Amino acid sequence: MLFVLHLAALALYGLSAALALAPFSGVTVSRRWTLGVATLGAVLHGVGVTELTLVGLGPALSMLAWCLMLLQIGSDLLLRTGTVALFTAPLAGGLVGLALLLGLAPGAEPSAGRNLWFILHVTLSVLGLALLALAFISAALYLWQFRELKAKRFGQVFQLFPPLERLDRLNHVALVAGFPALTIGVLLAIGYAVRYAGGMHVDPAQVVWGTFTWGVLGWTVWVRVVRRWAGRRAAFASIAGFTAVVLVYMALKLAQPGTERFL
Amino acid sequence: MVGVNHRTAPLEVRERFAHASHEVPGALTRVLSAGAAGGVLLSTCNRTEFYLTEPRDSVSDAVWELLGERIDGDRAVQHYGYTERDQDAVRHLYRVSAGLDSMVLGESQIQGQVREAWEISRGQAGPVLHRLFQSALLVGARVRHETELGKGAASVPSAAVSVASKIFGDLTGRRALILGAGDMAELAATCLVSEGARVTLVANRTYDRARAIAERLDARALTLDEAWPHFADTDIALCSTSAPHAVVTWERVAGAIQSRRGRPLCILDLAVPRDVDPAVGQLENVFLYDVDDLQAVAGQAAALRRGEIPAAENIVSDEVERFWTWYGGLAVVPALKAFREQLDDVRAAELDRAMRHFKHLQPEDREQLEQFSRLLLNKFLHHPTVALKQAAERGRAYALLDALRELFGLESRDGT
Repeated sequence: MLFVLHLAALALYGLSAALALAPFSGVTVSRRWTLGVATLGAVLHGVGVTELTLVGLGPALSMLAWCLMLLQIGSDLLLRTGTVALFTAPLAGGLVGLALLLGLAPGAEPSAGRNLWFILHVTLSVLGLALLALAFISAALYLWQFRELKAKRFGQVFQLFPPLERLDRLNHVALVAGFPALTIGVLLAIGYAVRYAGGMHVDPAQVVWGTFTWGVLGWTVWVRVVRRWAGRRAAFASIAGFTAVVLVYMALKLAQPGTERFL
Repeated sequence: MVGVNHRTAPLEVRERFAHASHEVPGALTRVLSAGAAGGVLLSTCNRTEFYLTEPRDSVSDAVWELLGERIDGDRAVQHYGYTERDQDAVRHLYRVSAGLDSMVLGESQIQGQVREAWEISRGQAGPVLHRLFQSALLVGARVRHETELGKGAASVPSAAVSVASKIFGDLTGRRALILGAGDMAELAATCLVSEGARVTLVANRTYDRARAIAERLDARALTLDEAWPHFADTDIALCSTSAPHAVVTWERVAGAIQSRRGRPLCILDLAVPRDVDPAVGQLENVFLYDVDDLQAVAGQAAALRRGEIPAAENIVSDEVERFWTWYGGLAVVPALKAFREQLDDVRAAELDRAMRHFKHLQPEDREQLEQFSRLLLNKFLHHPTVALKQAAERGRAYALLDALRELFGLESRDGT
């Protein structure tokens, strides 16, 4: 059942990506359809996620994909930024596919999956990551639309991408919500480790690079909120922040391969 | 339908022909008194058209006389106009309502103007024009819903709004600064205001002219030199001065723009020659567009709209046929009634004459003969009646009705 639900979600996310691409090939698709397909995929996926034991790389990737789709639907409903689906839908589809390949069974400590601290840690960390990914995507779309507007090119990007200020607002909201969510998620992980797992068993490299990444993300939020950066500079900053997260994660994962844990 | 539009008459003539709402009932009363059952006057800045039902020939003369009183000059007023009849008149109104006959193809304002014309003329329209205008509004809505004829910004002022919207999204509450007091600046400013933007400042070389426009737009008037610091806090700058060289230069505005903390500034330069030094467009977060750029945006939308013309024309043709079927059915009933009554009169008269020669017949034999004459008439009338009704269903009854009137000397609809 879990596998079938994920497979259905994968197909619907693929369709959602195709519907997001359709206007660029001249096919007009009703917003009702694009939202409907994404929502149906997220609902089926959501049923699957409730059956997951949130331990291991596969379940974490599935959860991340689900959060991304929820954010895609939310941003389309609230800010009419449906074009983010160009990136979120294929990314979510890819993550679900990868989760299916890695397996959806729990990793090393299945009992942890039933602990409230652990569930909150995974949920907030994954939601934080998804929000930072959304901030990255909106920043990339912003820079793309910015370039087209500056160059006075009035083609498909000008016609179909959302307005600059709306993308900037989405980037702001995603960044400002994503950073605290990720921070609380990490703090909950420390609390869980101290309280239930007999202390922290973390590689020093993870601590150093994790702190570095947190610092970079903190800087992007600081310049946005305190220094009131907006527009192009803020977009570059949020791209730098998310790139740091991805590069550090991949480096750490290469140094310590395995699918039992997300990190 | 008798009228003039932007293709047949220049602006200075059209603006004379335009009727304000309060003038419409009087104008219609005058035209209808020349011999028409109903009328609607559609008057906009681009057209003045009288839609009339059951008109006598003298009605178009009354229209030209009425319009002729509004202009001077030697040229006969008829030369500015055109006349459409029957299905062509229906098609014309449907095309107007769909935006196919507009100066800016597919513009939507015309639909509101058609509705307004119908509402103002309601008391004088009559049932046929009620139905025609109702259906015209539906045709306009159908074309806009089923085709992309109304998509995009197809004029320079609407392209200016479209570009600003791509930067700011919703324009509600955005602050606009107008440089120059030309008609184009005022037109584009009006478009921005209609989208919710707020014109806060109007600057011009001569203060008095700036003040005149500022009062109309509920803004503050400035001289040009006072305007440069305001580039720090405005969102949209609309430039349309008649200066022979660039007035918005890097030196004048760079300082103000750099203090914006990354907030975008949209500068729309509608002047020819240009008002804004292209170097200003190189500043961070400044989006500078001149008339050529805006015409490119408008041209793209216009090209897209032109591609939708065949689909829109198909909808119009469908709807004309549908209306004409309804109208044909309406006309067949009284014609058939008159035809039958006329032949029955002939039958009764001839029977009466024959009966005078057959005085020896018994009353029941006379009754038989009367019955026979009625049956014979019904047999003769059966096929023409069915054929006319079928032709009406196909919207092709008019040729047959005309033939019927001609062959049997029936009274025509206008009573002649």
